[in-house]
Amino acid sequence: MTGAFARTLVATGWLLAAPLLLAADPPPSGPMSPGEYIYRASGCYGCHTDEKGGGKPLAGGHALKTDFGTFYTPNITPDPDTGIGKWTEQDFIRAMREGRSPAGDHYYPSFPYPSYTKLTDDDLRALWQFLKTRPAVKQANKPHDLKFFARARTFVGSWKALYFKPGAYQPDPGRSAVWNRGAYLAEGAAHCGECHTPRSALGGIKSDMHFAGSKDGPDGSVIPNITPDRNTGIGKWSKGDLVTYLEMGLMPDGDSAGDLMAEVIDNGLRYLKKEDLVAIADYMQSLPAVEHAVHKPKKKQRSEFD
Amino acid sequence: MKMQHSLFALAVATLVAGAAVAAEPEDIIKYRKNVMKATAGHMGATAAIVTGKVDYKGDLADHAKAIQALTKDTAALFPKDSDFGDTEALDAVWKKNAEFKKHAQQVKAKADAFVKVVATNDKAKIANGFKELNDSCKSCHKEFRKEQK
Repeated sequence: MTGAFARTLVATGWLLAAPLLLAADPPPSGPMSPGEYIYRASGCYGCHTDEKGGGKPLAGGHALKTDFGTFYTPNITPDPDTGIGKWTEQDFIRAMREGRSPAGDHYYPSFPYPSYTKLTDDDLRALWQFLKTRPAVKQANKPHDLKFFARARTFVGSWKALYFKPGAYQPDPGRSAVWNRGAYLAEGAAHCGECHTPRSALGGIKSDMHFAGSKDGPDGSVIPNITPDRNTGIGKWSKGDLVTYLEMGLMPDGDSAGDLMAEVIDNGLRYLKKEDLVAIADYMQSLPAVEHAVHKPKKKQRSEFD
Repeated sequence: MKMQHSLFALAVATLVAGAAVAAEPEDIIKYRKNVMKATAGHMGATAAIVTGKVDYKGDLADHAKAIQALTKDTAALFPKDSDFGDTEALDAVWKKNAEFKKHAQQVKAKADAFVKVVATNDKAKIANGFKELNDSCKSCHKEFRKEQK
């Protein structure tokens, strides 16, 4: 009896006191290095960690289901055999800027190098320095499971010729420094458009639908329109609403961010400086509003007279 | 006459029992959604105050207490058989029920803590308490709610 009571007390105490140990990237241990800052902004952890399968941080194996088949993200820990431990800084910069492996092969654009190419040399070097400090994990990469038409890497070469423009972000002199910083973060590091811009049948970004949302995001998810369109986008959000969302994942109506975006915020965006979140919001609000409804219309309530 | 009387009593008893026991799953789902929406409304209002968008500091305690009341037993809003219909709850709510209940407990704990922290009038502590409360909502939604389509 006493034992049972004590057990109950212990159990209750544990329930209330212990933080929920969800698999997640632990928060920064102190002030962030420039490399960790870019790492957080770029969301490396989310795709390169198989959280659902209980995988180790950055060891890869995260399945990305797309129209072209399933991609398994690679191990980017410093393990020399299964990770990127043998890479040089130049190998890393080429991967991020040109979408090529150290052996010169094209990467599939499931790796968002069309965005990462916009990172500055300084940021790429800092990010490389940071990745080298991550714990090495020995875990062999899982081959992609692609549909027949996507299997040939030459397909990727043609794709890149059509859709890929390599090169670091060039600031727009006609815009403010804040706007340019926001554009750099949103278009480069945070690679918002990779999910939020719909793609053509060939998997190319539809540039006239920039940030207008997609009905077939990763894993069949619906990705919202984040242009300032008032009805189908987020035109009713104030700048402060956007900042609160990027920092906490709380929407103006009090609802919380869904699973993919919750991950992006919880492991990354929440650690950015307030002024950078304001810059991203500033940039987002300057985008052309695109009317594009991605969500299914709400089912009408049937009345008893139907 | 006596027969009629007892039939009537039986009918009444059945009606009462029916009303007390068999809440329709659809009604439970609607009720649950309304409780969630009410909570979200107070969360949104709280955020606007805490981040300084509006100046209704005098209302903060009311919102905090409302959230506390609405989240006192979230798990009870998800009885068995309320998994089918117009719901965004994932099967995991019932399949990993122990874990789900832990999340619900966590939300309650954070909502209780937020009420206390609001009473201190300490701006930084309030902001932090609100972040923690919001995180507890978000982590449960992340694990147990369907991506909204």
